[in-house]
Amino acid sequence: MGKALAPDRVSLPGPFAVGRYARKLEEEMRRRARVSLIGEVTGLSRSKAQAYFELRDAEGAVPCTIWLNDLEKLDLPEGGLRDGTEVVIAGGPDYYRGGAHASPSFSFRATHIRLAGEGDLLARLEALRKQLKAEGLFELQKQLARPLLPKAIGVVTAESGAARRDLLAGLERRGWRGTIVWAFAPVQDRHAAPRIAAAIQGLAAQPRVEAIVVSRGGGSLADLWAFCDETLCRTVAMLRVPVVSAVGHERDSTLIDDVAAVACSTPTHAAEAAVPLDCVAARGDLERSLASLQRAAGGAVRARTPHLVALARGPARALRREQLALNQKTREIRAASERGVAERLGFQRRLATVVLERARRRAAGAEMDRRRTALHRAEVALRAHEPERTLERGYALVEDRAGEPVIGAAGAVAAERVKLRFADGSVGATIEEQE
Amino acid sequence: MTEKPDSYEVAVERLEQIIDRLDSGQAGLRETLDLCREGRDLVAYCSAELDAVGEGLKELKLDELAEKLDASATPGAS
Repeated sequence: MGKALAPDRVSLPGPFAVGRYARKLEEEMRRRARVSLIGEVTGLSRSKAQAYFELRDAEGAVPCTIWLNDLEKLDLPEGGLRDGTEVVIAGGPDYYRGGAHASPSFSFRATHIRLAGEGDLLARLEALRKQLKAEGLFELQKQLARPLLPKAIGVVTAESGAARRDLLAGLERRGWRGTIVWAFAPVQDRHAAPRIAAAIQGLAAQPRVEAIVVSRGGGSLADLWAFCDETLCRTVAMLRVPVVSAVGHERDSTLIDDVAAVACSTPTHAAEAAVPLDCVAARGDLERSLASLQRAAGGAVRARTPHLVALARGPARALRREQLALNQKTREIRAASERGVAERLGFQRRLATVVLERARRRAAGAEMDRRRTALHRAEVALRAHEPERTLERGYALVEDRAGEPVIGAAGAVAAERVKLRFADGSVGATIEEQE
Repeated sequence: MTEKPDSYEVAVERLEQIIDRLDSGQAGLRETLDLCREGRDLVAYCSAELDAVGEGLKELKLDELAEKLDASATPGAS
């Protein structure tokens, strides 16, 4: 930080005598253009000669004074000038340089005051509306998801008023009997806007509150002016809980309507917007849904039953068909088989016969040879043993009368008469006696 | 029970999808029965939600809630 320069080292005009400067300042101020200002009267007080107040809006304020003489000449209604009144004042800046016993002061010296009319308010409203819209504040609330069936809603309204009753009636018609958190606030005087804003913030801080309704009956724009308060509207716009506004009637468009998630013309409509689901109708819908589901489930089964039954019968039928076919085949096969077997048997028999015959022939040939050989051998052997052969060698065979060989002497004796067979013929002989 | 829906609207949206699908006749038997089961669960959930806001209006005042909150936040307060 640089070293502060002493006043006499600053290269500025002066130093001037302060009283003279104050007089010049006073003159300068009074030469400035006269204008009219609009704003809210606050801090109104009176001295013997003057009335003092501040004229303010959300952006700033100016201290104002008016000579009581001037004030009395104005056609203001009794008590018309009071705190919270929107007024239009005409005048210009003034500087009072003070005196030996009076402090200097700056003020806007009003010469005329009138209560702000609809036109003035509308002009202000439009300017503010344009500004908030340009800042994108109209869209923030509209982007919030509004629950179809909130369990708890917050309501800002006047404690006594038709709005409260209408809202309850609307909710009742909806069949909604959840939780309402009431936040009662003044809805008209100059304290209304900050109280409403505080109530809305308080409700939004309640974790259970899922939607907030701000409701007030109809009135003039001046009556509804609290709901055009810039601070209140900025508060609503930035809130994370959806706000349903139901301020005034359709023809009255307050700024809170623009920044809220939904703007309704009546508290009854606000009830419908805060609880979008008609619980009575919803129960009916659910019953219909349930019926649809049951119908679908039953229908799905019923629709498939014939097919399933057919499918279930299918295998049995197919089996039966197959069985029949199989039986037929079996019969055919059996018949064919029997035929085949017979044929085969015949064939085999024929074949066997041939084979056997051939074999027999083959075997017979061999057997014959073998037999022939054996026979020959036997013949040879036999011939070796034939009595004739022996007889040929000089032996004789003794036979009895019956032609039976007589083996021994006793036999010969017994036979008495025998035949002696020689190779060349037989001769009879008589046995005489055993020697 | 299928997973609990996040909200009534989510449940109803799903229920509508289910009924549309069933009405289309495109769902097979297994899918149909599964969808019907899921749909019945959703209907039960929605009914319970409606019951929760149908038993009786409860009116609270923000000032009283705020006082209670303050009292509970005050040290030594019972």
